[in-house]
This record gives sequence, C-alpha cells and structure tokens, in this order.
Amino acid sequence: MSEKKEYKVIGTRPIRHDGVDKVTGRALYGADFQIAGLLHGRVLRSPHAHARIVSIDTSRAEAYPGVKGIVTAQDLPDPADKVADLGEGAVNLKYLCDNILARDKVLYKGHAVAAVAATSPHIAEEACTLIDVAYEVLPPVLEVRQAMEPDAPLLHENLKTTSLGETADEPSNVASHLQYKKGAPEKGFAEADVVIEREFVTGTVHQGYIEPHNATALYNPDGHLTIWCSTQGAFTVREQVAEILQYPISKIKVVPMEIGGGFGGKISVYIKPVAALLAMKTGKPVKVLMNRTDVFEGTGPTPASYIRVKMGATKAGKVTAAEAYLAFEAGAYPGSPVGPGAMCIFAPYNIENVLIDGYDVVVNKPKTAPYRAPGATNAAFGSETILDELAERLEIDPLEIRLMNGAKEGDRRADGPIYPRIGYIETVEAAKQHPHYAAPNGKKHHGRGVASGFWFNIGLESSVTINVNVDGTINLVEGSTDIGGTRASIAMQAAEVLGIPAESVNPSVVDTNSVGYTAVTGGSRTTYATGYAAYEAAQDVKRQMIARAAKLWEVDEANVQFADGEFSCINGKEEQISFRDLCARLGETGGPVVGSGTVNPGGAGGAFATHVVDVEVDEETGKVEILRYTATQDAGKAIHPSYVEGQIQGGVVQGIGWALNEEYIYDAEGTMTNASFLDYRMPTCLDLPMIDTVIVEVPNPGHPYGVRGVGEVPIIPPPAAIANAIYDAVGIRMTELPMSPERLLKAIGTI
Amino acid sequence: MEKFSYVNATSLEQVTSLLSDSGWGEVMVIAGGTDLLGELKEYIETPKTLINLKTLPGMDSISADGSGLKIGALATVADIAMYPEIQNHYTVLAQAAGSVATPQIRNVGTLGGNLCQRPRCWYYRDETVDCLKKGGELCYAIEGLSKYHAILGGDPVYIVHPSDIAPALIALGASLKIVGPEGEKTMSVEEFFTLPATNPYRENVLEPNEIVVEVQVPHPKSNAKSFYLKAREKGAPDFALASVAGVFEMEGNTCQAASIVLGGVAPAPWRSTEAEAALTGKMITESVSMQAGEDAVKDAQPLNDNAYKVTLTRNLISRAAMMAAK
Ligand SMILES: Cc1cc2nc3c(=O)[nH]c(=O)nc-3n(C[C@H](O)[C@H](O)[C@H](O)COP(=O)(O)OP(=O)(O)OC[C@H]3O[C@@H](n4cnc5c(N)ncnc54)[C@H](O)[C@@H]3O)c2cc1C
Repeated sequence: MSEKKEYKVIGTRPIRHDGVDKVTGRALYGADFQIAGLLHGRVLRSPHAHARIVSIDTSRAEAYPGVKGIVTAQDLPDPADKVADLGEGAVNLKYLCDNILARDKVLYKGHAVAAVAATSPHIAEEACTLIDVAYEVLPPVLEVRQAMEPDAPLLHENLKTTSLGETADEPSNVASHLQYKKGAPEKGFAEADVVIEREFVTGTVHQGYIEPHNATALYNPDGHLTIWCSTQGAFTVREQVAEILQYPISKIKVVPMEIGGGFGGKISVYIKPVAALLAMKTGKPVKVLMNRTDVFEGTGPTPASYIRVKMGATKAGKVTAAEAYLAFEAGAYPGSPVGPGAMCIFAPYNIENVLIDGYDVVVNKPKTAPYRAPGATNAAFGSETILDELAERLEIDPLEIRLMNGAKEGDRRADGPIYPRIGYIETVEAAKQHPHYAAPNGKKHHGRGVASGFWFNIGLESSVTINVNVDGTINLVEGSTDIGGTRASIAMQAAEVLGIPAESVNPSVVDTNSVGYTAVTGGSRTTYATGYAAYEAAQDVKRQMIARAAKLWEVDEANVQFADGEFSCINGKEEQISFRDLCARLGETGGPVVGSGTVNPGGAGGAFATHVVDVEVDEETGKVEILRYTATQDAGKAIHPSYVEGQIQGGVVQGIGWALNEEYIYDAEGTMTNASFLDYRMPTCLDLPMIDTVIVEVPNPGHPYGVRGVGEVPIIPPPAAIANAIYDAVGIRMTELPMSPERLLKAIGTI
Repeated sequence: MEKFSYVNATSLEQVTSLLSDSGWGEVMVIAGGTDLLGELKEYIETPKTLINLKTLPGMDSISADGSGLKIGALATVADIAMYPEIQNHYTVLAQAAGSVATPQIRNVGTLGGNLCQRPRCWYYRDETVDCLKKGGELCYAIEGLSKYHAILGGDPVYIVHPSDIAPALIALGASLKIVGPEGEKTMSVEEFFTLPATNPYRENVLEPNEIVVEVQVPHPKSNAKSFYLKAREKGAPDFALASVAGVFEMEGNTCQAASIVLGGVAPAPWRSTEAEAALTGKMITESVSMQAGEDAVKDAQPLNDNAYKVTLTRNLISRAAMMAAK
C-alpha cells in the first residue's frame, strides 16, 4: 500500500447536519410550503397516448366558481425550433416546451394539456373535468423495435434520423444513431474460440422517489418570479423556466425545499413552469402538486430497451471482441440515455476490438429522464450476462475472467478516453476475498451470481462560500440539493482544511440569488465537485486567516504556518493561536472573513463496482429470494463512509427492484395499467437481506482528497448479477427484465 | 373525489334506513376506508352520502369459546391476525389475516371491509374504462392484459376476488350475519360470495341496504391442521397471485377430511372440491398431493397472460397437502 494520508474529519461518521430535522419531521418539503393568498393548481392530462389536439375549450371551467385562471400551450411563448444548452446537454427547446403543455399533439397518456388555478385543490380538480378537449386519436407506438419499423406511426413529422453526423431525408422515429468503434471486431471474433450472442429486453422503470413533484410560484408586479420546489438543482430549474417562458434569469429566483428523493428524476421540470404561468396569469401564488399517478404517467422514467450483445473469447479466457446493439426508448421526445449506455457497456474491460451501435428512438410513452447511471444498467444486463456465459463455457471462475480482462490505468475505452488510475481490479479482488464468495453454495435451487459495472461520473460547476463566525464555527453556503447526506460530506471537506470538527460547520442549501452557480445534484458529482468547491473556499479562508495572524503578530504572512487547527509563527517569535481564538479577533484585524471557492473540475474519476449475490429460486412459484448480497465499490476516498454505504445499499435495492419486479405495464392503447405503488412493485425491507458493502479506496487523482462519485454505479450490476445467480440455481438464462414469477415459471417451462 | 356528506352511524336501524331505496352507490358505508377511499379518489364510486360504521358500538369485538369464534365486522385485520386463540386454533385465519397488505392497513382495515372490498382489476379501477363490471359491454381482460386475472369461474367477468380472509373463513366453514331493513339473517360465507355468471356487477349477495355485522367460525376438530399459502410478487403489500386456504383433518398421514379454498384465481373464493376429493381418505404422499393439485386446475381456462397461475395454483395445493402430512 502507498502511504496513507492521516485525516481528522474525513473518513469519520458524524451525525448529518440535517438529521434531526428529518427524523423529527420538521424538515420543510415543497408540499409543506404555505403563503398567504395561495391558490391551488391542477394539471389536466391526456387520456390518449397519441392524438392530435383539435380544440381546447376552457369556457365551462372558467365559469366554475373558485376558478381563478387556466393556462394551455397558447400561454407559452411560441418556441422556435432552437437548441438550448441547459447544462445537462443540448435540448431542443420546442420539445422541452411541448412536454410542459402539449401544443399540437399529445404524445403519451398523461401528457399535460391544460392547468387550472383555483381557490382549493378540489375545485381545481373538478374544474379540470370541465375543460373540453377534442382529440383526433392516432395509433400509438409503444415499443422500440416497432417504432423503428419503416411503416410505424410517426410521433414527429419533422424528426429525421441523425446517423454519425448525417441527417436522413425521410422522417423517422429514430432520432439518432451513434457508434463507437475500436480495433477490428471481425478480426477479434475470428480469433475467439467461443462466441456468444444473445438478445435482451428491459422494461420501463421509474425512479420511484417517495416525494411527488411540487412547485409553488409567486409573481410580483415588479416582474420578479419566485419558485419554491423540490429539485435536484435550483439553477437548472431557473435555466429551464427561463428558456420555456423566455424570461430573464435575473428575474427568477428558485428556492430549493428539502427533497424526498430524485435519483435523476427531479432534474427536468414539469409543473414548475406551469405553476409560474398560473401565478403570472392570476397574480397570486399558486401551488401545484402531483399525485402518484401523475408522477408515473407525467414524469420521466428510465427507458425500456432492446439490446443485442455478442462477445468472443479465447480458450484461455481473453475476450477478443465485443459488439453491442442498443435500441433505447427515448419516450415522446428524443434524448434517451443510449449514449451513456454505449459508453459504459464494456467499460470495465480492456477489449481490443469493440463495436457499439446505439439508437435513440421515440415512442408514445413519457419522455424518459435520467435514473441513476442512466443507460448503463440496461446495457450491463446484456454484457455482464454474456461474460458470465463465456466464463461458464470456458470453465473459468466468473471473477477470474473479470480479473483477466479488467481495465487498468492507461487502457482506452471504446468511446475514446484513456483511463487514469482506476480501481476496477481492486473491486474484483475485494469481492473474491470476501467471505461471501468463499461461503458454500451448493443447496438445491440456490445460486450465486456476480456482475460488475462502470459509471464515468461528472464534474461540472459548483460554488461555495464560507462565513467565519466569531466563535470558531463556520457557516457554509452551497447550492447543491442534499439528497443523500451531502451537507455532511461537503462540510467535512471544509472542516478538514480548517482543522475544526464537522459539527462546527453549519451548512445551508440556499436559493439561486444567494450562492454562485451550481450544477445539479446528479452524475454522482456533489461530494466530488461541490466538495471540491468547499475545499477551495476553506483554503481561501485559511489564506485570509493566515494574513490575520500575520497582522496580529506583525510578521510576514510567509512566516505563519497553519496545522492541526493552530496558527503558529515560524521565524523565531513564539506565537501561537488556535483557529477558534483567531476567529474571536477578526474584528480587530480587519473585519469578517468570507471565503469562496468555485470549480469546474475535469477530473471526476470513474467508479467501478463488483457485486456478488446468492438467490433461491422457488421452482414451484417462480419467486426469487435474495439470500445474501455483497457489493464492493471503489469510492476513491469515502468522506463519510456511512453515506457511501447508504448510496451503495440504495443503488443495490433499486437494482433488485428493476431486476425482479418493477416495470410499466402498458395496454395496447398506451395506458400504464399499474400506475400506483400497489401495482408498480418496488421492493420493501421484506424482500431484502442486509446488503453488505465493501468500500475500496483507490484515490481519484482529480480531487484533493481522492473522492470519486459513488451514487450511481451501484445500481448497474444487480440485474445481471441476479440473472447469473438464477442461472446458477436453475440453469436458465433470463434475458428479459423484470424476472417476475410469471416469466420465471414460463422459462422453467412447467406450464 | 367528489363531494359527499358524512354521517356517523348510531344504530343498525339508522344505517339500514339511510341505505334503503337508494340502490347501489348513492349512499355507501365506510369502515376503515382503506379500499373505499381509493375508489372515491379514482372516481370509481361517487356516493352522495357516506355512513361511517366505525361509530357503531361493540361491533369490533372478538370472542372465543369451545364452540367457536364470533368476530364483529368492525374488528380490524390486525386484531384477527394477533388474537391468540385464532393463532393457536384457527391458524389458517391468522395466517391469512397476517398476509393482508401492510401493518398500517391491517391496523385500520376491518373484517367487513375486507370481505366486501371491490376488485383490484386494473380495468375496473380505471375511471376511463367502462367495463362489464361497471355496467359496460366488455370484460377487457379477455383481449387485454390479464396477468393478474381469473383462471377459474371467470365467465363473463375475469376479476379475481382480492380478499385473503374470505378463503380462510370458507375453509373453516364460517358463516356471517347480515342486517337489513327486515332484520338479520345468517348464511355461510361460501354462499355469500357469487360468481359473475350470477351477477357480473357485484361479488356477493348483499343488497344495497344490507351490511355485514358479524362472522361466526366453528371450532376446528382437534385433529385439524390448517395453513394459508399465498404466492405474491413481493413481500408486502401485495395481493395474492394465487393462494390456498387449507384445513386438513389428519390421522397420522391419512387425510380424513380436507377443506381447500383458493384465493386470487377466481372472481369469488374458489372451493376446490376436486382437490378435496383427491385427498380425502388418502394417505398423503408426494404423488397424492400432486394429483390433488392437478385435479384442482383441470378445468382452468387461462387468458392470454395468466397461464402461469395454473402452475402456481397446482404447486401451492400440493405444497399445502405435503405440509399437512408432515
Ligand atoms: C395497499 C393495499 C394492499 C392491500 N392488500 C391486501 C391483501 O393483500 N389482502 C387483502 O385481503 N386485502 C388487501 N387490501 C385490502 C384491504 O385489506 C381491505 O381494503 C380492508 O380490509 C378493507 O377494510 P376497510 O375497513 O378499510 O374497508 P372500507 O374501505 O371501509 O370498505 C370496503 C368496501 O366494503 C364496504 N363495507 C365495509 N364494511 C362493510 C360492512 N360491514 N358491510 C357491508 N359492506 C361493508 C364498503 O362500502 C366498501 O365498499 C389491500 C388494500 C390496500 C390499500
């Protein structure tokens, strides 16, 4: 082992700063927000999956007592077909606007058509039933392969396939085709002794955050618009609302309330611009809340997909070539995560010859949104199952084949980047050495499976300011929504720099007027990038404090040193003062100290994970029981190990739900028949064993403490690991998600 | 949900007179509300008046003596699951009640509400679908998505009865007391439930102006073993994909009498006389138990997506029989 840095705060487990508020129910969420004169908004949604809007008549609803305002797409500025960059990549503004309130066509059941503001939620709901919308119903297309057929019903008359930079002449549901190529795949397959190819199908899955979307908007006569809401990024709400309403960002203030989960699903806006429009129209504050059905039908899930994977290996176990065909459902508008899926699919391995084709395809379902490592879970279900099959055929241990082919520093990924120091091999080693992997696994119908995953993680912009208090504490101001304990993990990085305990930091997540620009809490970036900004802000404080000590002692700044929370003089004078004592003397040395840090770091280190799972398959009922689960993951440096473990466990649980139960079930008309938590089956504690975690620490060279993002990668391996375990238990390769009792019984062939 | 007026019940006479002549749906009773509120929110029911039964005194009691149990219609599902005498001697009932929903719902949901709850069919529960059960023309499960629908007794409506408690009560030979404007009557729980061939719109014989007030369960024989096996997709909350309530009177490994009632596979709790016949008087072996399973599903008519339930039901029955033999 290389030399291990000694930290005082980092790596400890202090109580999170928002803990008491959350466990006592005092934390304020968007739905809790109250303000005098509040109106309540309700959105009318399309009952059809695909239809032309012939007319919308709101007169009956407008006449209904208590109704104060109604909006439709006519109230939105006419969006030009222009491309806006909203931080999360380029977005076609027309698509963005049409998804908020449908203009010409509705493209999925649940698509917003109009919204009402009224004096009570009930009146708003009743008034929605009085809005008369005439539709010309069109045939829906609900599955990616069908949507790609040349004669499929078209969602967008003007959408033409962009394929490797070229745009086709004819309209199509295929928005784009991308390709990554490395080496010579044909040659690679020719060198292989064993080649395996299979098709995989995965269902539409929702993030399933507990808190539904909410927004309250207030429009002042001076033109200032304020929005209180649940979001993964207040600044991205500001940007999206500004674009959709064509309104200056300087007049929009977004106040993030506490968030009850997001997992990627609370980056895109849905009802926030609607609440703003209603507030502008009525001159009153308007609150809009979704219910669970609205959330399932009207917000972005993660895509269903059709995947083909082919891999070849030599007898010795060297993977010589790999090919993947990924067709992802974007939902109603282009923009599925097929790109990230393509980047991640073979990323844990150093394979010489690779070909990956990805297709982004529109279908009559809600526009998909990110969900924890978007695209990568779908893709890994294919590649990690095929790799398991290769290992089995070659009679090589499945972890061994991963070690033999595992990617290391200097290897190049098929989509281009060359790896800096990464910790994939270390995660496989950790899994191999874990007692779980050595434990016997011979019982009838018991099986063990392994799988790995990769997620690249992102950096992006963050800002932090630190206000030093006279009592030696600091107030840390940040713009990152705290979903999984990041107030703590960010505060701890500042505390480490300043040599103070984590408890001496008061973190606040503030509105867009009160902190510098900060990108979303997503891409596993918050502890990395906002933590980095906090580190920089603390360094700034440290520099200023050194200047104050120098002033106090009348020495040169170069002669003041800071270590372990103590300033001392190093040029002969016997001076020493603690951080805390110096804080009390800021007034006399020049006034308050405020530090700031802003970053846009490029070095978000990629994260790898390797999972081991034991299952029991009940051949008589088709039920799969998870008996034991161990997840190893490279966290770079675990700032607060409990929250790293929490992220791993949460990701695994969502992966288990995706693997075994969760899916949107659509009827032929495009209605989701199971749009409730009763019928959309997410796992609960009854379905889960304790999930064992092993944190591997291979420091990320792109962060002062070595942090890598941890939030996303743990959702990637579970479906493949469980499929591999099912195979081990009953000898059947499951290639369709979810692996429900119905599918298991069918596959076991006992029907 | 639409507006309604809310009346606290004070006596059975008041309840039945408020219900009188209104037909179905205008005036409704509410107990725990765990089922009805969902229907109101989805506009499946739009009553003008709701009568809160929870204010009726004494109707939530459970009592037991040597001859059997008396359970008031307002007893909660949790009370039934935790009642020691029920756990000790009416195992199938305690297990069935314990498998219902979640602890929170069991604490609020009542026995009467559980027996009278409406189907969970996704077409029935979709406000925009005018299905046969709601007075329309078609049962959409026939051509549509039928993963959770009936394999037995469906014609012409393929809902499954959602109650876990009902099959257990029928297996135990329970009866229930109904009160209406003309007074009270008692019938077996088995007779209470009806198939859609008799009445496609309701799941039981209750008239719009009647309510269930009590269930009586005879004490099982001293040699009876009973179990409730419920297959579901996840631990909780989840309705049965298929379930088996079995009461077996055993002499050693020989089954002297069997009472086997299925849940989750038919529009009413489904007594499998075939499985009972296959087991009665037999020494239970693997092959006998498998035969009982086979016989139970020999007339099953699965729809497009629910053939797996045939396998499931067959396997659950033989599993229950093997448990009785242990
Ligand atoms: C998430 C969820 C999961 C569930 N899972 C299960 C499950 O696994 N197994 C299961 O069996 N059930 C399940 N249920 C249903 C639940 O058990 C029943 O809803 C509950 O027992 C009903 O009792 P209640 O008192 O709340 O009924 P209510 O909702 O008050 O009433 C239900 C219906 O019965 C009528 N009614 C109520 N009492 C009487 C009476 N005394 N006489 C005549 N009519 C009456 C009402 O008018 C109404 O139509 C689930 C429900 C939910 C919401």
